[in-house]
Amino acid sequence: MKKTVCVVLGAIAAAAIVAVPLVAHHAFGGEFDPNRPILLRGAVTKVEWVNPHAWIHLAAKEVSVGGEKKALNGATEDWAVEGGTPNTLLRRGITRDSLQVGTEIVVDGYQTRDHSLLRGNGRNITFTDGRKLFMGSSGTGAPKDGADPTEPPR
Amino acid sequence: MRATTPATAIAVLLGTLAVWQTSAHGQQAPAPGRPAVAAPAVQRTADGHPDLQGTYDLATMTQVERAPTYNGRLAIPVEEARRIEAAAAARTARALGPDSGNRSAPPVGGDGSTGAAGGVGGYNAFWIDAGKAFTIIDGQARTSIVVDPANGRIPPLTASARSRQAAARNQPTSDQAESGGDVGLETTAGAYDDPERRPLAERCLLGFGSTSGPPALPNYFYNNLHQIVQTRDTVMILTEMNHDARVVRLNGKHPPADVRSWLGDSIGWWEGDTLVVETTNFTDKTRFRGSTGKLKVTERFSRIDGRTLLYRFSVEDPETWTQAWTGEYTWPATDDLLYEYACHEANYALGNILRGARQREVDAKKGSER
Repeated sequence: MKKTVCVVLGAIAAAAIVAVPLVAHHAFGGEFDPNRPILLRGAVTKVEWVNPHAWIHLAAKEVSVGGEKKALNGATEDWAVEGGTPNTLLRRGITRDSLQVGTEIVVDGYQTRDHSLLRGNGRNITFTDGRKLFMGSSGTGAPKDGADPTEPPR
Repeated sequence: MRATTPATAIAVLLGTLAVWQTSAHGQQAPAPGRPAVAAPAVQRTADGHPDLQGTYDLATMTQVERAPTYNGRLAIPVEEARRIEAAAAARTARALGPDSGNRSAPPVGGDGSTGAAGGVGGYNAFWIDAGKAFTIIDGQARTSIVVDPANGRIPPLTASARSRQAAARNQPTSDQAESGGDVGLETTAGAYDDPERRPLAERCLLGFGSTSGPPALPNYFYNNLHQIVQTRDTVMILTEMNHDARVVRLNGKHPPADVRSWLGDSIGWWEGDTLVVETTNFTDKTRFRGSTGKLKVTERFSRIDGRTLLYRFSVEDPETWTQAWTGEYTWPATDDLLYEYACHEANYALGNILRGARQREVDAKKGSER
């Protein structure tokens, strides 16, 4: 029984660590609205590779906000999602150019509390096949770890 | 389970994190209290002192305070630490694995995350660069940075510190709650009325978790790089998070007591091959874990080997803790580059937070009119 509990707690903790900050540059709860979950699908239009948080802009062709899917009728909406510090990724050889404009991504998160802003937290950002951003193969934002012989050296 | 998580998990996480959070360095170090003896190969500067210069990555899985799960043990065998590290690495790898491309939005009402994540979650693991290994000293993996008191815990607060903190709950915040990390949704009246009432880290003025120091502590999150530049008369410690440069005047004197600064005033001297840095003249604005302007921090830098420093520090403030306390951990050199972390210009988060507060006021007014 004790072992089972440990395993379960460990699994929960493990899942938590990677996505939820214990400390952070700011209070996420003050910025984003827990009652406005979002799901965005669309192409990257701009990457702001800035501190304290990188911002990834996309032309969303599918937008779900607060549990309701928006009727865009073929149009797109320009959204921006907040990520982490670029310094960490820079050290792994990832730059803003690693995420090409036009790349299709999927984002789930929460909208800012000011609903007039089309901004959200990049709680989970992936390619359309579910692979995490910057974790894909070469040319899709993969870390330049030397595994790909076609990569230019760091 | 999804990578971004339910909130109940966070409470559990806080309790278990110490078991597998960390930093990585297999170097040997002198026992606590013993001065480090420079190896013959250690390079020296022209004035004969050990050359401490370099860029160091302070990230470590060894937590500041010892978790109860270690039953008071100062250290654990390296093999045990490696197992914990491997388990943590495997969990991170799983979190970085693919998700569903056809997933739906997270739940209305929040994803249950607590603390800084405030019910809306943080962001993906690929942004995070916490430590991957425990600090190794004397051939064993340390379970806490705090070594004195012997239980590895920061001493209790004094009665005056407790009452001061209780009173502070009714004051607008002007700094980061150092001991609690992010302040989350601050309930103090007026906390969101003015950007200058927001925590220093949120305003991009200082790093969180005492990254800026002194004492310089890891933040268990990212950007834990520090660079030391040394001359005959000064030592500069550059901190990536948040781009603070602390200049230590060697053989200098502290200014009069009414001259105070956020990072305090640092003077230093050599005791054999150990650089001792004493910092006083703090303000009451940067409170380190609730400290006052009477905080005094004494740091000791010594070389363990050509790639590793031992960083030992003592903290005292009779108005805050019932006794002085001491910590130590290694600073392993890194070949990585330290990047600028100037974040004020792009700090959209602060604007979003203040706008969010205005929205909550409108919502509250609507609610009261109903």
